[in-house]
Amino acid sequence: MPATDIAIVGWAQTPAVARTDATEPQLCMQANLAAIAMAGIERSDIGFTCAGSCDYLTGGPFAFVQNLDAAGAWPPIAESHVEMDGAWALYEAWVRLQHGDIDVALVFGSGKSSPSDPAELYPQQLDPYYLEPLGLDPASIAALQARALLDTGRATERDFAEVVARSRRDARTNPNAHVRDEDDPERLLAAPYTRNPLRAHDVAPVSDGAAAVVLATARRARQLTEHPVFIRGIDHRVDVHQPGMRDLATSPSTADAARRAGLGDAPVEVAELAAISSPQELIVRDAMGLGDGVAVNPSGGPLGANPVMATGLIRIIEAARRVADGTARRAVAHATNGQALQHNLVCVLEGES
Amino acid sequence: MADETMMDDLVTLTYEELLPPNTVRFAEALVDGRILGQRCHVCARVYVPPKGYCPLDVVLLDADDDVEVSDRGVVTGFTIVAPVRYYGQTKTEPFVYASVLLDGASGTLGGQDITGVPTDQVHAGMRVRAVWKPKEERTTKGQSARGWGNVEGCISSFEATGEPDVPRAEFEEHVI
Repeated sequence: MPATDIAIVGWAQTPAVARTDATEPQLCMQANLAAIAMAGIERSDIGFTCAGSCDYLTGGPFAFVQNLDAAGAWPPIAESHVEMDGAWALYEAWVRLQHGDIDVALVFGSGKSSPSDPAELYPQQLDPYYLEPLGLDPASIAALQARALLDTGRATERDFAEVVARSRRDARTNPNAHVRDEDDPERLLAAPYTRNPLRAHDVAPVSDGAAAVVLATARRARQLTEHPVFIRGIDHRVDVHQPGMRDLATSPSTADAARRAGLGDAPVEVAELAAISSPQELIVRDAMGLGDGVAVNPSGGPLGANPVMATGLIRIIEAARRVADGTARRAVAHATNGQALQHNLVCVLEGES
Repeated sequence: MADETMMDDLVTLTYEELLPPNTVRFAEALVDGRILGQRCHVCARVYVPPKGYCPLDVVLLDADDDVEVSDRGVVTGFTIVAPVRYYGQTKTEPFVYASVLLDGASGTLGGQDITGVPTDQVHAGMRVRAVWKPKEERTTKGQSARGWGNVEGCISSFEATGEPDVPRAEFEEHVI
């Protein structure tokens, strides 16, 4: 059965920062209120709410329950939560809207990375026998992946620096990004290695922030806005957990998700990719078959701001923004979970045809 | 049969959070001997401690919505804990764990010790007042970004005032 057309009619994100004193529910409420206002709906119009966050980041069991304060859970609402990036919450809401009995859904993703130390925390998402005891931190995994890519001969360290330079230049014009440092590839290459072959700037920062999206069925979307952004295809696929059991220089799950989302049916002008290291951008680009004419991460991408658990949802927002304002007729967004591009989601967006 | 190998892998996760402005104001007022709440400008409920928002109306609140509530209130429910020995338990004698609805607040403070009467005389509806620690001993202990409303750094317990009991109908909606 073909999927029902679902459109993005509202979105918002809190400006990502390295450290905020706002609580996560406060961040979520700021994002939700702004997205609801943009969509021009009442909270009572929402038939389903889905959130994405990570209790390990927040530092408390069932911490996600308090985030629900930001959605207004009394009188009772129909809601769900994924311990994943908010992009997967959007996927669940998209599936829920296929049922046809509701016409509006609210999605939000949030994370505060500032309270914890990624090197201490992230090994907890790895298998507890072989990888977690090694203390394999995100920068080290990114470096293993970078080395695998270099060894294929398909990329050089200069290519990594070019990705960082372009991302930082684009982040400068994004009020929601916070990394706007050095953007000259030569000077970037002169920086010392932190995890050979990566330098500090090759790995995305971790940020605090939240983002929200309002989805509506096509009929409702056309009532709400003159520029609905339709989800033409959305799919997610997963590779094996163990980094040692797959080729880190490729991303078969991204390629598979892109194919099933219909990415190849027509060209895209914009791609927002949740690449959390500069080599990852090259790998995801390759997996999606994006040509040189595609503007990749015009928002500055995760290298400019990386509010973990909202980063993927923000890619969908940034792609949708460019379809809504006419910059792109067709755009693609990518989100990822797990380590070294383990789990990938691809979402193809188009304006009114 | 192969030898079994046991491997210990103890994990420590450390979190350092900034207190949100609403909790900073609550903590500072508490050290000063005042209990701060926040009144929703839509439903007029008073949250103690301030949350920075009303979860029922989904509106953000700020310092302009702060209100002071009384340090007197009523016990809405309680349990008497007879401590058993387990790691971390420092209590040896039975103690009270009570919910106290402060005058002017719309929700209770949980987990408060009740003093001034024998534990077997503690009851719902009993009027109590805060026993403040001497000013120089007050701390911000227990304050967190979660904002559960810890007052332990400044208030050692609530003691019976001897006032007449409050009729159950007046606090019934706060009985869990």
